[in-house]
Amino acid sequence: MNTSLIHIIKKWIPEKSKVIDFGCGDGSLLKDLIDEKKIRGYGVEIDHNKIQECILKGISVIEKDIDEGIQDFESCNFDVAVMASSIQCLKEPHLALRKMLKLSKQCIVTLPNLGFWKCRLDLVLGRMPVTPNLPSSWYETKNLHLCTIKDFETLCFEEGFVINEKFFLNDKGAKSVMASTFPNTFASEGIYLIAKK
Amino acid sequence: MKTKTELIKFNQGLDLESGARLDTFDLMVETYGELNEDKDNAILVCHAFSGNHHAAGNSSDGEALGWWDEVIGSGKAIDTDKFFVVCSNNLGGCSGSSGPLSINPESGKLYGKDFPLVSVNDWVNSQKLLSDHLGISKWHMVAGGSLGGMQALQWAISYPNKLKKAGIFATATKSSTQNIAMNEVGREAIRKDKNFMEGDYLNHNVKPKSGLKTARMLGHITYSSEDIMDQKFGRKFQDIKSKIEGTVDYEVENYLQYKGEKFSDTFDANSYILMTKAMDGYDAAFSSNGSLEEVMRRIKAKLLVVGFDSDWLYPPKRSKEIQLAAMNVDVQCSCVILKGEQGHDSFLFASDRYVKIIKGFLDSK
Repeated sequence: MNTSLIHIIKKWIPEKSKVIDFGCGDGSLLKDLIDEKKIRGYGVEIDHNKIQECILKGISVIEKDIDEGIQDFESCNFDVAVMASSIQCLKEPHLALRKMLKLSKQCIVTLPNLGFWKCRLDLVLGRMPVTPNLPSSWYETKNLHLCTIKDFETLCFEEGFVINEKFFLNDKGAKSVMASTFPNTFASEGIYLIAKK
Repeated sequence: MKTKTELIKFNQGLDLESGARLDTFDLMVETYGELNEDKDNAILVCHAFSGNHHAAGNSSDGEALGWWDEVIGSGKAIDTDKFFVVCSNNLGGCSGSSGPLSINPESGKLYGKDFPLVSVNDWVNSQKLLSDHLGISKWHMVAGGSLGGMQALQWAISYPNKLKKAGIFATATKSSTQNIAMNEVGREAIRKDKNFMEGDYLNHNVKPKSGLKTARMLGHITYSSEDIMDQKFGRKFQDIKSKIEGTVDYEVENYLQYKGEKFSDTFDANSYILMTKAMDGYDAAFSSNGSLEEVMRRIKAKLLVVGFDSDWLYPPKRSKEIQLAAMNVDVQCSCVILKGEQGHDSFLFASDRYVKIIKGFLDSK
């Protein structure tokens, strides 16, 4: 995960809150949040090596396929659920978002923007987009449900989710006037803090 | 590996959950490795139903390997070069700790069937006295599988300040209805053995061997799984020369006959009943009217919960229940479900991931 992204996620997570990180990777984000913000954190991961790294870091990690198990934690009353760079890999992203907002007051979602001008250009030139945050070729990618910034915000509206915060990065992973002003065309990545109405 | 086996006498007595009291009791204890100066490298391992204090290495007579030898030892998952590992035979057992085979100090006679009912809580309380005796104020980890996992969980609940980590493997917060049912079949086989004599067999110099054997044969089926039995034995016929019983046709029958026979030579029938009753009776949430969250709220230790996919006695969903209750009440808890080649018994074997995970958990802050 790039550093601007981590910085923003950290900013949005309140001190001492209870956090669940879906697709927590090696547990770095949770580790930072525990050290810096005294959160009570749990990670969900399916990759064996990453689970091993979490355990070694002392992070509470649960081995689970996010596609199947989000609803298992419904009773746990989280303050924030994080889904960084994996929503587009799920079988049913809209249902996953609903489930996440059942178990947590707020939800942080990051997603690559297929409307980014370089993606559009790739398509105009007749190729599937390959960019820094969409690095895999069409035959290797784990992304099943790519969308644009506009698509995502439309989904939030239709589902009745409130967007409390949003932030956009360009393809250098940095904040830029163009990305903030015309995100659907100039943002490579969107970061959202959403809640139920 | 430095190993020490000793019988430790406790004169302060122990009030049991049943209401009975043992004025004095003994624990047979085996230790591996060395306790460091700060006394903070100690690990308590708790044995399952038919295990005992001999957890690792060769036994004193050089014959039997310890029940968790794949996991405990020099350079192994629980590394005895780093840690001081302690294992005691549970009260009511038949390997040296006070139990049906010991002398009742009041009457001067063997306890036999009169040894009081014991529980997982009683074992944990007796192990707490053991840790005081050894001068260990905080275990680095308490760990166990199956009935031993119940003890590890109960340690974290009963003595939250006395352990840093708990390894809870292939177990549950309570025995399921099916677990109790299976155990009852085992007990019934023993009770119906004509040599059982309502538990008074020791005074008649006989042993209810055939009942014990049948109980153990059933036990071995539950520790394995359909796939594993298929892979291990298939429908292969037993070689005529190595048949244990003339009635045996298939290899699997011979295996169960062999295992059952061996067990009935060494295990005590009254202990069998006591141990299975303790297993059936365990319910971590009993003291809080069934609310697991309520009792788990007390836990300060970090938990590592491991289930095995081929375990149908304490299946993965039982492990996940522990994890979920922990998460509900903000207890730190990791949970992994490993591929188990050996059914319920998988927790005994050192598979690659299992070893890595235990090591990582022990090394983590």
